[in-house]
Amino acid sequence: MRAFAYQKPLRAVNFICHAPEARAVSLVGDFNGWDPAALPMKQMPDRSWLLTVELKHGHHRYAFLVDGVLTLDPHAQGITRNEKGERVCLIPVS
Amino acid sequence: MRKSGNSRTATKTRPAPGRSGSSAGRIHPVVIYPIRPARDYADLQALYQLVRYLDADKRRYARPLTVLDRKTHYALRGDKEYLDFRRLVVSRSSEVLDVWAVDTCQMWYAGLGAAFERGAEHDVYWLIPGDFNYGTKMGHQVLGRLHDLPEIVRELNQDLCIGEITADYTNSKQLIDTYGTFALLYNWFPDEAREIRQYTERPRSEFFAVRHDFLGKALCQRWYPYEQTMVMLLQAVRGHRGISRFSVGNISDLPEGKESLAAAMQQVERTERVLKSVWREYHQGDPDWIERYRQLVGTSTQVRYTAISILRNLLEE
Repeated sequence: MRAFAYQKPLRAVNFICHAPEARAVSLVGDFNGWDPAALPMKQMPDRSWLLTVELKHGHHRYAFLVDGVLTLDPHAQGITRNEKGERVCLIPVS
Repeated sequence: MRKSGNSRTATKTRPAPGRSGSSAGRIHPVVIYPIRPARDYADLQALYQLVRYLDADKRRYARPLTVLDRKTHYALRGDKEYLDFRRLVVSRSSEVLDVWAVDTCQMWYAGLGAAFERGAEHDVYWLIPGDFNYGTKMGHQVLGRLHDLPEIVRELNQDLCIGEITADYTNSKQLIDTYGTFALLYNWFPDEAREIRQYTERPRSEFFAVRHDFLGKALCQRWYPYEQTMVMLLQAVRGHRGISRFSVGNISDLPEGKESLAAAMQQVERTERVLKSVWREYHQGDPDWIERYRQLVGTSTQVRYTAISILRNLLEE
């Protein structure tokens, strides 16, 4: 589990990306500066990709990078744009 | 792709204490009291439980405002339950703004305008419609999520956050938006319609939060009595404003979950009227605007007829 915001309270959040044919998937967001290398996801036996991260309380923008392509989470609770104007997802953490 | 597991996002039933301070601006809750309240006060009781909580958190929230139509008041002036509820619940947890309004849109305008005049640069305004089934189990969950709307505006520096109701494709409002609202939007404002659809399938949502300076512009530019959210979305897209959409859950303001065909027709017709007015305002300085307008009116009429035919089939089945 990776802690990406060092202010408490932190909450563990599971991110799951269903991309069975992908070679590499990573999680990018405000919480890691949209760094493609910071949060690689791990492929599970069912071939979906999983990562648990600890996020601070509040609203975070995120997306998946599937083989380098910015991909929205179809189950995201919200949609917005990041600083580059790309459509990304929203997640509330409390 | 999904987030899951026990540790996934916790649903808040109340805004968490002590996040952003007053330096980040305050949130102004504006509650629209139902024009025709139900006989049973369970939904309003649930809503005002939240309002009481907001009123108690003076560091983060301005005094909530309840907009109440005078026609509602006079229709119920002999009703002890209403009078008691107004005196003991509504007035204690919020300031009541009594207005004469022809519809809820005018109540929004009056309420948001009054709140705006008390607000300041970094403040956020949060519209809360009062006529939803908040007393249900799902309604409680929705009440627990609504505060996310102003918090998203504030934390992520957005101008407008639309709260979207989760509804399946057979929901009346969804059908009206698919075959009426969006069809007409694509006719009059195709580029803006595409952009709006990237955020939301419900451009007429009654749940939203808006930042101070954008609300100021929207209030001053708003000459149209209907479809306030859609007009604000158009203004936001054209002004390259920060827009977010957040799902608030499955909730309904329809007594039996279904709209009548007459109500659907009225909604489609007024959407068209608003779009015509907005288009004229944006384009009346163009040299060939009358010819373009006539062409658009022709196609808009076809779109409206088609929408009403489809809705007739779907809503009267």
